[in-house]
Amino acid sequence: MRSGAERGVGAPRAPVVPVASVGEAAAQLFHVSKSYVAGTFALRDVSLEFARGQLAFLTGPSGAGKTSLLRLVMAAERPTDGQIVVLGRNASRLSPRSVPSLRRRIGVVFQDFKLLARRTVEENVGLALDVVGTPRRQARTRVFEMLKQVGLQHRRYQSPLSLSGGEQQRVAIARALINEPEILLADEPTGNLDPDLTLEIMDLIAATAVRGTTVIVATHDQALLSRYRSRTIRLEGGRVVEDRAAPGGGP
Amino acid sequence: MIGPAARAVYFVRTSLRGIAATPGTALVATGTIAVALVLVGAFALVVINMQELVLRFGDAVQVTAFLEPGLDPPTREALVDRARGIEGVAEARLVTEQEALERFEEGVGQGFALLEGLGENPLPASLELTLAADARTAADLSRVSAALATLPGVEETGAGVDWVEGYVRALALVRGLALGLGVILALATTLIVSNTIRLAVLSRRDELEILSLVGASRAFVNTPFLIEGALQGVTGGVFAWLLLYALFWLVLPGFEFGLELVLGGASPRFFDAAESTWLWVGGAGLGLLGSAIAVWSESRR
Repeated sequence: MRSGAERGVGAPRAPVVPVASVGEAAAQLFHVSKSYVAGTFALRDVSLEFARGQLAFLTGPSGAGKTSLLRLVMAAERPTDGQIVVLGRNASRLSPRSVPSLRRRIGVVFQDFKLLARRTVEENVGLALDVVGTPRRQARTRVFEMLKQVGLQHRRYQSPLSLSGGEQQRVAIARALINEPEILLADEPTGNLDPDLTLEIMDLIAATAVRGTTVIVATHDQALLSRYRSRTIRLEGGRVVEDRAAPGGGP
Repeated sequence: MIGPAARAVYFVRTSLRGIAATPGTALVATGTIAVALVLVGAFALVVINMQELVLRFGDAVQVTAFLEPGLDPPTREALVDRARGIEGVAEARLVTEQEALERFEEGVGQGFALLEGLGENPLPASLELTLAADARTAADLSRVSAALATLPGVEETGAGVDWVEGYVRALALVRGLALGLGVILALATTLIVSNTIRLAVLSRRDELEILSLVGASRAFVNTPFLIEGALQGVTGGVFAWLLLYALFWLVLPGFEFGLELVLGGASPRFFDAAESTWLWVGGAGLGLLGSAIAVWSESRR
């Protein structure tokens, strides 16, 4: 797999997505730039490719463009320039009507968990199943199984507010994984957690890559990078300044 | 995949949950719709009663054809039938010489002695034609009058065209006022309701964001809000109906004298079943429209 750094940032632009390569990777970015304010770039000419089943870390200081990159992959925003292909679909040209069907194939985990306080743990996890119209009984069974995987089946009728930070993040991970997504995006998933919980949560997230899901984690935490020894992409000022493959060429 | 019925149940449940989650906002929206519908409903009651009064006046819009003397009864009956056949005529009735005299006697009272001096009844027989509700215009009156004049045996026709023009203007004014004020009130209510429901949308923005993240379509996100608006609208409509009903039966009798002056002795009436249903349906429609505007404007942000 070639990365942006290997190709060289600022290389001549490919105006059209090379269709032949689409489908081999989970997500591809071709010379992507994103600007929120004229003249200021959150991302600048980023070209990256994420293989299926790969665990990749996005790192870099605050404002480097990590969150912007994740938002572009989940089609929450469109790039100012360049092309993005996610799961074989051109996310930069996706109509608003088509975005939900792509999102159902992507799980997302945030630093602030984004759980609904007024709903139970079971309902929070089941939300992703409600959206795809899973029958109620089947949904309950699947939610129970998922909560069992993250060790929270006994908490399913409780409000997320009654859970610890680590437990809340496990609920968020359960919600992100319940539909067996092909890509899992995690934006500083351990940012609010203490070191012990950080490892617990990261082990959960990393395990999904082993099952074939492409996992992209944005993090500041250097300890995590050295522990997991996976592909690490360093962003600074919206550019890819380093793209280090996993030692031994593994995912 | 669940079926449409299960999905509808899910949406209604989500709507009820939404109302329970923000009871204050739901109460304000329902109250706003109820107040607006009380205003619209009260005005509608006035209009309905006024319109009925005006329509009652309209029954007096008649064309009279005076008949030649000496026509035998079969000829007179044939004339009545032919008059009924004229377009726009709702009813034709023969007034005999004797009937005309009796009416005159009732009308003039003491002055009847003037006619007694004449010896024989000088009043002619006549045909009285009542026009259909949609043909009570000056033009129709003239047309019917002209058609009547061509019938053999008709000596002279008479129609109060000036009076009819006044009647038509009064009816148009009442209907125009009803329509104009109704539209203004409906617009104002829709605006208020849409802003109130927008508050509900804003208060649940976190939920909408999460739904969007897990791949909910716009319809999936918006439908519960639309149902919520419709439910609040129907509830507001029912409250408005109850309030109007209470006002009508408890407060109105206190203004009996004034009402008699306005309605000319006719008793005011409340909404019938169909009109009451329209009030509830109107409430649901306002709620639905208000929430549709709210979710539409929020989804464009």
